[in-house]
Amino acid sequence: MDTEMKPASKFPRWLRLVMGGAACAALTGAAVWYDLTYNGGRLVYPMHSYAFRTTDIPMLVAVALDVLYALYLAFLLIRGIRAQKEHVMKTGRTRRLSPKFGFLGFCGFLGFAGFWIYGALGDLSGFVFFAFFGFFGFFFEGKMSNTLMDERFKENAARAERKALRIGFGIIFILLLFAGQAGRLTAELVAPILVTGIALTVALTIFLSEYLLYRYDHDDAAALEDE
Amino acid sequence: MEGFTCNLKIYRVKKGLTQGELADIVGVRRETIMRLEKAQYNPSLKLAVDISRAVEAPIEEIFVFD
Repeated sequence: MDTEMKPASKFPRWLRLVMGGAACAALTGAAVWYDLTYNGGRLVYPMHSYAFRTTDIPMLVAVALDVLYALYLAFLLIRGIRAQKEHVMKTGRTRRLSPKFGFLGFCGFLGFAGFWIYGALGDLSGFVFFAFFGFFGFFFEGKMSNTLMDERFKENAARAERKALRIGFGIIFILLLFAGQAGRLTAELVAPILVTGIALTVALTIFLSEYLLYRYDHDDAAALEDE
Repeated sequence: MEGFTCNLKIYRVKKGLTQGELADIVGVRRETIMRLEKAQYNPSLKLAVDISRAVEAPIEEIFVFD
């Protein structure tokens, strides 16, 4: 029997992932520099038709590595989600999650890039990033990580979700009433207002369902509200 | 929430069980037992029956509805 142990890596896994990502970014940066300096920037600027040239190789290699890295991240994500689901099914406990994931909520500020994208390209999709504010809910989900989901927990989760959805739908209804005044507002203004409003409402609903669950579960006064 | 008096603590102590032990027996969290004892949580029929069996006391004596 092979008893030889694999030597433990010097760096933790997350650091190796970040280092891999940084290496890909650096390689892509170098490839862009090479393309602009020695290849006339033909792979950087938009082109109508493509014909292979050997000078394209650095950029093609960099893009291939980026794609491989992205696929690896997707694989890790899917494997992680599957493992969490198995854990939930097997133990009847909530998924294991660090409250630090709540910092992902700051990605919501990417939504402000939507104003620039909309102005420059007329594309509304940038505003959708506002929905990432909902990740702040991970602060509370993380606090309830690996909690036994007994009947009181399930009841509180359903109650929290119901209340969050009620608030969310209420806001969307008011937003639609506001957008209904489109006769006075231009379509160019109504569209970003609607997309931004709905993205923020989605974020609020996601956040509230976690926050309210935490409060119902831990706060005596909140637990007795609305009962 | 409908008001009720919960005598669970009396029967649990009589049986010599801690909140944690009772929680493990009936498959809930200790916090749930704590809320039950404070009559702040209205349990399902199944949980009420499980508790009644665990502390060996009649269900209507543990949970007394007004």
